[in-house]
Amino acid sequence: MNVLHPESILVPADGTQTPCLLGSRCDNCASVVFPQMPVCPACLANGAMQMVEIGRTARLFSHTIARFAPKGFKAPFFQIFVDLPEGPRIFSLVGAECPIEPGVLEDGMDMRLVLEPLADTPESKDLLTYKYVPAASPEKSGKARHA
Amino acid sequence: MREVAIIGVGAHATGQFTEKPLKELGYTAIWGALDDAGVKPADINVAYVGNSIGGLLTGQEGVRGQVVLQHSGITGIPIVNVENACASAATALRGAWLEVASGAVDVALAVGVEKMFIGDSARTIGALSAVSELDLSQMGMQFTTSYAIHPKINLKARMKEYGWTLADFAKPAVKNSFNGSLNPLAQHRRALTIEQVVQSRIVVDPLTLYMCASISDGAAAAVVCSADLAKKFTSKTPVRIASCVLRSGVYRLPDDNRPDTAATTAQAAYEVAGIGPEDLEAVELHDAMAPAELMLYERLGLCGPGEGPKLIDDGITMLQGRVPVNPSGGLCSRGHPVGATGLLQIAELVWQMRGEAGERQIDKRPKVAMAQNQGGLLLGQDSAVYSCTILKT
Repeated sequence: MNVLHPESILVPADGTQTPCLLGSRCDNCASVVFPQMPVCPACLANGAMQMVEIGRTARLFSHTIARFAPKGFKAPFFQIFVDLPEGPRIFSLVGAECPIEPGVLEDGMDMRLVLEPLADTPESKDLLTYKYVPAASPEKSGKARHA
Repeated sequence: MREVAIIGVGAHATGQFTEKPLKELGYTAIWGALDDAGVKPADINVAYVGNSIGGLLTGQEGVRGQVVLQHSGITGIPIVNVENACASAATALRGAWLEVASGAVDVALAVGVEKMFIGDSARTIGALSAVSELDLSQMGMQFTTSYAIHPKINLKARMKEYGWTLADFAKPAVKNSFNGSLNPLAQHRRALTIEQVVQSRIVVDPLTLYMCASISDGAAAAVVCSADLAKKFTSKTPVRIASCVLRSGVYRLPDDNRPDTAATTAQAAYEVAGIGPEDLEAVELHDAMAPAELMLYERLGLCGPGEGPKLIDDGITMLQGRVPVNPSGGLCSRGHPVGATGLLQIAELVWQMRGEAGERQIDKRPKVAMAQNQGGLLLGQDSAVYSCTILKT
């Protein structure tokens, strides 16, 4: 499967790795950003950014259910912002295992990363991307989720 | 810098004009402005043409400005193509203003033109998403979503923080739809009630259909010249550009506590013009989603935190209030042909300031007015473009 933003995702090559996002951490001011950048947007240092693994877990910042989908997506679908423990606040989607109903998500809840196809549509079903699901939801087989 | 005056404006009606290409939409606006200003094509020294998604939607990826202007008989002069998302037209005006203010030329033309009805609304929505940073649009981020949950506006959080209700969100749409019902150029001319807005179908929770600007075709243009030359062309009241400020979004980490960029852009515009928000007598602002108007009241300094709905309840921003906002009907009612919107706002304010706005004329003809326009979204959690223009007579 193709990866939508291959520079931004660590896709496990074998059982010893777990998936995560790839951001940049500034050696000068310790800011962490996602996706990766060569210049720190906080202190403007150039050349001080190092790649870091981030985003295995997150906290839900905000969420909504979109009732209208752009091409390549299927409505309804959740759209969310999450706060990563390393610092960044990022836009993401919600994994398919989470039912799309009001009340299922609550801002502030703990989330965990899953890698899965962008959407169940002809345009997006073969594009792997990063999404989040409630951390409390039962782990499924990594094989099934990351295949 | 020289004083610059707007001496003519023109607009094509907004709405669905499937059979009209960009250049036809542009023609009506351009010659409307030329005739209004009393200038001929040969008087124009330079032109800036704003358009956002015409390349993706029509296939005319390059030189759209030259194509549009050639159709209107304007050739040979420097023509600059401007793409700046939903603020493309405001950016075009800034280019024209700067040319004249700097003394480089005496007369400049600014055009904004957009064609969104192409018979395939999914493609149009896709093109609209593509005016935000690709990393976001590829993940399915839409403008509606951004107003609903983006950290910068986060209407859902405002409901908790301010106690705003869906009825409050509907208030700007109701006010603006009344104004739009009086505007013969407006796309949607039905005055809506709170109930109709709240009960229209949900697009992205908590936004309903009538709270969202729809896709639209349209165009607008303005002729600007050195203020001391205005009388040479027209006997109409020249409208001076007191300030014209353009900013880009800044990269914000979650703990960023710098003021909002719409607010800093407005502040800069107030300072250059030597006025404050209390001096404004008319405002056209970027209500791409109606509730955003409530947030912009705060950011433009028209009210304090959470007081937006009260401005409407008290009639202050209504058509005959102390500071009427979106007398044209705004983006939701007048229409939002994205690359034309900034100049549609300017055209409306010029008509209001000259007393030419017909049924929707503000009784106390405004002498000081502001157009606020913005567009695009960046990964850094800000809009891409912010613009504020202050006009005076």
